[in-house]
Amino acid sequence: MNAPTTIAQTDRHRPGRVRQGRRVADRLLRVSCTVATAVGGLVLGSILIMLIIRGIQGFTPALFTHPTPGPGSEGGGIANAILGSLVLTGIGITIATPVGVMAGTYLAEYGRGSKLAALIRFLNDILLSAPSILIGLFVYTLMVRPMGTYSGWAGGVALAIIAVPVIVRTTEDMMSLVPSTLREAGAALGAPPSTVIVSVTWRAASAGIVTGIILALARIAGETAPLLFTALNNNSWFSPDLMGGVANLPVMIYQFALSPYPNWQGLAWAGALLITATILVLSIIARLVIKPHTSR
Amino acid sequence: MNAASALPSVELTRNRADEDGPVRIAVKGLNFYYGSFHGLKDVNLNFHDRQVTALIGPSGCGKSTLLRCFNRIYSLYPEQRAEGEILLDGENILDPSIDLNELRSRIGMVFQKPTPFPMSIYDNVAFGLRLYEKLPKAELDVRVEESLRKAALWDEVKDKLRQAGTGLSGGQQQRLCIARTVAQKPEVILFDEPTSALDPISTGRIEELIEQLRDEFTIVIVTHNMQQAARISQFTAFMYLGQLIEFGPTNRMFMNPAEQRTQDYITGRFG
Repeated sequence: MNAPTTIAQTDRHRPGRVRQGRRVADRLLRVSCTVATAVGGLVLGSILIMLIIRGIQGFTPALFTHPTPGPGSEGGGIANAILGSLVLTGIGITIATPVGVMAGTYLAEYGRGSKLAALIRFLNDILLSAPSILIGLFVYTLMVRPMGTYSGWAGGVALAIIAVPVIVRTTEDMMSLVPSTLREAGAALGAPPSTVIVSVTWRAASAGIVTGIILALARIAGETAPLLFTALNNNSWFSPDLMGGVANLPVMIYQFALSPYPNWQGLAWAGALLITATILVLSIIARLVIKPHTSR
Repeated sequence: MNAASALPSVELTRNRADEDGPVRIAVKGLNFYYGSFHGLKDVNLNFHDRQVTALIGPSGCGKSTLLRCFNRIYSLYPEQRAEGEILLDGENILDPSIDLNELRSRIGMVFQKPTPFPMSIYDNVAFGLRLYEKLPKAELDVRVEESLRKAALWDEVKDKLRQAGTGLSGGQQQRLCIARTVAQKPEVILFDEPTSALDPISTGRIEELIEQLRDEFTIVIVTHNMQQAARISQFTAFMYLGQLIEFGPTNRMFMNPAEQRTQDYITGRFG
């Protein structure tokens, strides 16, 4: 009975030591957090600075108007790769958006609380972090081998498979944030579930869902691995035939950066800067879309 | 101890209950379950036509649960179920063959927190109208205005009908929700603590509004506020632990409750 009392008393008699211990722990945590942030920031910053310095030199009008030059030759641009990337990303996001939004809606609305939904959510999370080269190989087996050719369609499908889990996840998360009282209010007016979802829940979550789609777009714009096995590349001027290889920025960067030709290397830097800038712009748009809604 | 002494000097005469008036809703042997939890135990109760009935009782007593049975909104949640009978004009609305959407267009509901939809003020009010009536634009305009007037909101929003309903103040949002409910011309309106998220001035306006709506609609209101029940209702039901303890005209319930527990609750001795 006596022991705890004495400890409590002695503790109370030397508050300085306890406080000092806490102060040291506080310092330690603050310093290590700051150092870690600085390391991360420095690495990212040096990559960006390097990219801007080396890439900006290649930013000439020709970059956007001329197709990729032959090996060892001078001049040229990456217009075919830019156009190809736009087309492939466009196909990817066009396929992924309806699939992802619908699946996310299923998880948030119809499948809420069910075991099947929990399983789908788990698998979707695995897909979300699956190595993208696996998805490239999957589409290679699914489309490129049977069709006997690398193709733009296969590239678009591979990008779609990467985008779907991102959109599913954000759609579900954003729709789950819509308060259930809003759904009840819709149902209480006699609206069937489909009307409540389309007119109330989707609307309430629209900013978040759009943000998810834009982020998915930013994600697939820079994917290389899935395209290596599917769309591959095409050094000639862009053709609307998507049944053959299609030039695209990531694979162009991969090939040109590994090449011994300084001209190609310069184009690779410029292409890398272009992709990075595009992703930056997309991320900014995503933030702007979500902002007025969250501040309300 | 006289129960009435605990009440503010409220004029109760204007709210005289019409005890002989027709019964609109009859609850018979109602039991309710949240999974295995028995939320309502053999509730029997009549709601009179175009009267305000207040459901009072401490938190968790089942008053909101009872309210949520009348439009079967609980059926959104698979683990919740009701047994027994709720007769609306003689028809058992707990019957599985009842068309829920049609039922809910006849029995409106206003929630504790204002629930404006993420659309314009106009579209909020027109939402319910567009579901079941194909009205020409001009007629829709008339109905929207009429509903906003009934909800005492028209003068405040008539110049900004195209603005977002979510941009209104809390009290205005709640009146918007009332307008949206009234627009469908339901027979019964359920209020689930409609003023507990509002300031006293907004609360006063909603109470006045409920008084006026009584001319047209049968009203059931759940409230935590005893004075509010005394002010606006003609009938009061006191519930405790899932059971209906006492039901009667509000005047008698507050002046001269038959049950000791009712008296204890309304005088603030527990709850």
